[in-house]
Amino acid sequence: MMKLNLTRVDYVQVGITSPKSMRVLPTSGKLQRIAIADNYGILQVFGAKKAEIQQVFQTPPSQKITRLELGGPIGGVKDRIFIATGPEIRGYTKKGKNFLSFDTNMSEPVQSFHVQGSDLFVCGNFIFNHYHDCKDTNYYLCGDKINDVLCLPMDKVTEITPVLACQDRVLRVLQGSELLYEVEVPGPPVTLQMYDVNGGDEGNEILFGTSDGRVGLTSIGQLSPSHRWELTNEKRNGGILCLDNYDITSDGVLDLIVGRDDGQVEIYSYDEADEPTHRYSYTCSESVTSVQGGIISSSGYDEIVCSTYAGWVFGLTSEHQTKEFGPQEVMVESGTAHKLMGLKDDLEQLQDKVMKEREKYQQTAYSNTAVSAVPLFKINDKFVLNREDASYTLSLELQMPIDNVLLQSDVPVDLLDVEKNSAVVSHSACNPEEGNFVLATYRCQANTTRLELKIRSIEGQYGTLQIYITPRIQPKTCQVKQYPIKPLSLHQRTHVFDDTRPCNTLKLTGQFSLAEMHNWVCFCLPELPDRSPAGDSVVFYFISTFLDTQLQCSYRKGEAIFKSDNISTISILKDVLSKEATKKKIRLDINYDINEDSIPHTLGLIHPKLEYQLLLAKKVQLIDALKELQVHENDTSFLSPEYQQILEEADSLQIEYKKQPCHLERLYGMITDLFIDKYKFKGQNVKTKVASLLEILDNYELKTLVDFFENSV
Amino acid sequence: MLVPIFTLKLNHKVNPQMVAVGKYDGIHTSLACATSAGKVLIHNPHKRRLQSEGRMSGGEGDISLLNINQQVTAVESGRLVAGTQKDTLVIGTQTNLLAYDVDNNSDLFYKDTPDGSNAIVLGKLGSLDPLLAVVGGNCSIQGFDSAGNDAFWTVTGDNVSSLTLMDFTGNGQNELVVGSEDFDIRVFREDEIIAEMTETETITALCSMSDNKFGYSLANGTVGVYEKTARFWRIKSKNQAVSISSFDLDADGVPELITGWSNGKIDARSDRSGEVIFKDNFNHSVAGIVQGDYRMDTMASADQLICVSVEGEVRGYNPAAPDMSGNLMDANLEQDSIRELSQRKQNLMLELKNYEENIRLGSGNQIGEYDKAQMGIIPANTQLQTTLAVNSGDEKTPAHVELLISTSNETVIRAVLIFAEGIFEGESHVVHPVSSILSANLKVPIIPPKDALVDLHIKTMVGSKTSTQFHVFELTRQLPKFSMYSLIDPNIPDPKSSVTFQINDRVQRVLLWINQNFLMQEDLECEGNLRVAFMSLRGTGPLIIQMEQNSQMCIKTDNMDLAGDIIQSVANFLKIEDLQSLVEYPTEMETLEKVLVKVDDYHSVRQKLTAEMADHSNLIRSMVVRAEDSRIMGDMKSMRRGYMDLYDLNRDLINGYKIRCTNHQELVTCLKQVNQIIQKAGRLRVGKYKTQVVNSCRAAIKNNNVSSLYKIIRTGFV
Repeated sequence: MMKLNLTRVDYVQVGITSPKSMRVLPTSGKLQRIAIADNYGILQVFGAKKAEIQQVFQTPPSQKITRLELGGPIGGVKDRIFIATGPEIRGYTKKGKNFLSFDTNMSEPVQSFHVQGSDLFVCGNFIFNHYHDCKDTNYYLCGDKINDVLCLPMDKVTEITPVLACQDRVLRVLQGSELLYEVEVPGPPVTLQMYDVNGGDEGNEILFGTSDGRVGLTSIGQLSPSHRWELTNEKRNGGILCLDNYDITSDGVLDLIVGRDDGQVEIYSYDEADEPTHRYSYTCSESVTSVQGGIISSSGYDEIVCSTYAGWVFGLTSEHQTKEFGPQEVMVESGTAHKLMGLKDDLEQLQDKVMKEREKYQQTAYSNTAVSAVPLFKINDKFVLNREDASYTLSLELQMPIDNVLLQSDVPVDLLDVEKNSAVVSHSACNPEEGNFVLATYRCQANTTRLELKIRSIEGQYGTLQIYITPRIQPKTCQVKQYPIKPLSLHQRTHVFDDTRPCNTLKLTGQFSLAEMHNWVCFCLPELPDRSPAGDSVVFYFISTFLDTQLQCSYRKGEAIFKSDNISTISILKDVLSKEATKKKIRLDINYDINEDSIPHTLGLIHPKLEYQLLLAKKVQLIDALKELQVHENDTSFLSPEYQQILEEADSLQIEYKKQPCHLERLYGMITDLFIDKYKFKGQNVKTKVASLLEILDNYELKTLVDFFENSV
Repeated sequence: MLVPIFTLKLNHKVNPQMVAVGKYDGIHTSLACATSAGKVLIHNPHKRRLQSEGRMSGGEGDISLLNINQQVTAVESGRLVAGTQKDTLVIGTQTNLLAYDVDNNSDLFYKDTPDGSNAIVLGKLGSLDPLLAVVGGNCSIQGFDSAGNDAFWTVTGDNVSSLTLMDFTGNGQNELVVGSEDFDIRVFREDEIIAEMTETETITALCSMSDNKFGYSLANGTVGVYEKTARFWRIKSKNQAVSISSFDLDADGVPELITGWSNGKIDARSDRSGEVIFKDNFNHSVAGIVQGDYRMDTMASADQLICVSVEGEVRGYNPAAPDMSGNLMDANLEQDSIRELSQRKQNLMLELKNYEENIRLGSGNQIGEYDKAQMGIIPANTQLQTTLAVNSGDEKTPAHVELLISTSNETVIRAVLIFAEGIFEGESHVVHPVSSILSANLKVPIIPPKDALVDLHIKTMVGSKTSTQFHVFELTRQLPKFSMYSLIDPNIPDPKSSVTFQINDRVQRVLLWINQNFLMQEDLECEGNLRVAFMSLRGTGPLIIQMEQNSQMCIKTDNMDLAGDIIQSVANFLKIEDLQSLVEYPTEMETLEKVLVKVDDYHSVRQKLTAEMADHSNLIRSMVVRAEDSRIMGDMKSMRRGYMDLYDLNRDLINGYKIRCTNHQELVTCLKQVNQIIQKAGRLRVGKYKTQVVNSCRAAIKNNNVSSLYKIIRTGFV
């Protein structure tokens, strides 16, 4: 396969952009134009012939534009530009004529929408509305946040079939105002895109991208979906923000283009089995909010156009920027020098102006009445649980460079090193009595606009994580952001529950409403919508990312039942819920039913993980000694096959070991909690026995451990 | 884009910082690296493999292995023998130094170095005649000539962590630059210290560059360049620099600072600005960076830059060809500068917007009280006051320096971040009170671990109790050098120890020095004889500074280190070049005496243990023979017994070894103590008297003349 070699060309910088708010317009002549909308409310269309910007039109600033879509007659050319601002959808022609201003009258601002012919599919946070010719035709209220919407192409699929990407890890397929079925996907889907040209042959294949960095293809059948493939995220890259199909490799097959929130742009082409294979990666330092393929700056050269959070629009072009010309290389572009001069002039003028304003601002310090009021700057933040290593990733992104970040936590958490961030971290001494368990500063290198932190929490210990971000801009201000660390922080939403497992049950009854209970459950568990769901009773399922134990929460007015195979989960819930209820002065009757079989079952779940980790630790311990032997003896064939294997796999073992720091300690902690919790329900305090438990763990064997759990008291 | 001209795999691990390159036969360049199991590997791609005898053992292909049988601590090579082109390989271990002639596979010399050898450098030092191998150990620096005679000796404040030879003064002769674990970089002209710079962490590497410049790296991830005693630039990374080197990679005639990092990154930075002009990545930590003509290519006009990773990967880079015109990173310079300018423009626009919004929000009352509080709107005339004071502490809190920060109105301080080097665990200290007790003033206790002048960069977040946005006030305060001493009533009994010396200056000048270097509520004034008393907050007793009208000064404190610090600081302030003093340190002398007795003890124990070990090994030999005899004769019972005995003996041997180890450890600490006392005694003098004390002490110890040692420390001469 030919190696892709793409070069970056910067076009313009606009305001902050929301995901999927930049599109390449269909061909008009040889070159294509770019339409982009930003959070200042400005929509602009420009061409970039020879990287020289030619603006077609620009709207005046208004409300924040959350999305930009293209529309046109079904099966025809899609060259009409639609934007969503506040509750409104507006339409523009490619020349800039505003032909539509449609107020949806929705109670929420429009977050995402989709256009096909004269049908509009509009979503707020929870509401879905379908308008035909601007007339309300269908309506659906979703249980969790809607991230994106799509409708299968009407020229291929006769029934109008909208698909919603929802935060609770499902794609909801609708028909009319009814839910047809739900498709469970591996992570919270944030973006949807038709596969190939308009959804493949059947027109029902859609790509989805998740916030934990996975991409998948699924076909939406008449009655049931079928998963085609999934790209996992083993390298722990950022979450997906946008997808596109474009044949950048010029092999006649559309390639998959992926934009991620850690600044990566990736290109995948499809192999014989139609599975995607990685071809190219480009990393910029900001979230990539939209990617599109097209021919922008010179005819005959394909390029990928990307827009970033901070508003950069740049192309990755297959055209080489330098060309061989005799012995010396000559820059093809002469326009850049011109551009540079212009920029420098602009900058100087601006600098003067800013100096004057700065002085004026400083003068106000002598006034007794003036105030210093600096507008809030925008922070693009994300706090997500990683399933792979049961830790949280916090990413922060600003429009301007970050100077420093202060992290404060009132619960014990561990800060893990993130390889790609270059900020210098420093832990400060702190006093838990002052409510500070962690105080750390991250001093960023120049021009860092995005910072990623990794945090490991402990279940049962809950509180708030606070982040103070100071950008490098005058007048200096800082903003605080809060993130709750929930009691069951390592649990994740799921949609299945295995009934065959032995379960412990916690039953609460009392004078509480559904909304109150929902509030409390929200307080305990992540990934739940804030507003209480419709209906008289609700059921949510969770799975522990660390131990794979499960939890079922079902509650209605006056009664709540929690079922889990892990006794520690039940114990934490019991403690937190009774505390919360006491705070609200609501009397709760607590009943629990402890299933003795659940203990060996949970230990059995831990067993393979523990055994694997112990073996890994043992192997890693041996590596150095074996390597030394290898140096002494030229021939290592006398070693046992086991040792030879360790030597061969030394590198991968070490990488594996490094990837999961303290994994063993965490497992030990979980087992200890399990032990204490088991006897806590029996009303016995066994803290004195923990030492002998740890002794058993040091010479671990499942049977002795299970015996110890059963017979120690 | 600059790409490596060769890459190869050594297939051996390489210990960090232990890589050297040399022409051991005078013609062919080879690489020498310390590897695991106490071996040094020599990679020689141009010559047949060296014979496996003597220290040489096995190896494959181009690689020969040298058995050292001890943990190697430093490897260096260079010319040591005058009149030959051959380079000598010098290998340091914790107890010995080996100078090795690789070509002849023979030892040049093998020396005991009880102070260890943490760093080695080869070359000419000052006007000293022979080529020297200079070895930095625990608080001592020794120079050996090619015959193994120690031609040079001096002490330094702490364990030496890095060394380099360079022409610091520009006089055409090499000075020795020494980095040590007490964060100091000292420059020795032969055995006289001519410059001393204090850094913020252990100095892990030094390298000489052009024009009296030298590069340095610290254990906290800092890399930078000094020009003489002034720091030119520095940068800090979250990774650690393992190795630094100076090499002209872009062929502009000026060498760049090349840094190899613990995360496998290599970068080349301009010596003037610190700007990165080239970078590359290894998969593993870098072990060392050296330079040499490794390809032996007649076409190659210059040496290559050779980088070695800990996993034994080697990459070589040629200096850039002229047509690259210094652009080594394949960067599209125009595009980059456009991007940079646009970013700056963007930032200015945002700033401008801030001012516009400020005026808009300030003029009208469009926003409610709630929003006002959220945005953290504060009166424009809000000011921040800071005061530094000494707090003697009470039962609960230890004594500390107190930084009081307060705002001038009803605004509250949400948090304070102080960035300062060398006085906190990390580079910053944060005070973040519980939100319910926020107020307009905040006390920050600071306990500087040692006496040094520190800049405190204070960032204070000011707003109201319910703000989500705060104004950040940034200011810098200086913490004086001797801040952990509180002024007390001068009429206290004198400490037992004192230093007396004569200076040719007025009392007022000394008073000025005191006012500048101590933390006091108001400046001291004095008529006639000066007597000021301080109490150390670190619990090392009182400090009395006396000065009479006849310019005799006396410093009374039981802390010899402190007295040394004060003398150095005063001498620096009054620009005194040479200073002799009379020293009374009875307790310190007692310690020295005890330590010297201990050193003797440890030496004899060591000899005894060595003899025992030799006995045991003889015994083992005969026991093995006997046991094997029994086996051959089929006498399984006695064979079993024989091996049981052997097992017991082996255990004894291991125990003996452990004793030997601890014994050695103790010996090393004692020797370090002796060196430190000599160093402290030296610091009570300035200039040539300082050198004189150190040298005389050395001579006294060498001749085992303990009584003269005391005299030297007391009076400064024999």
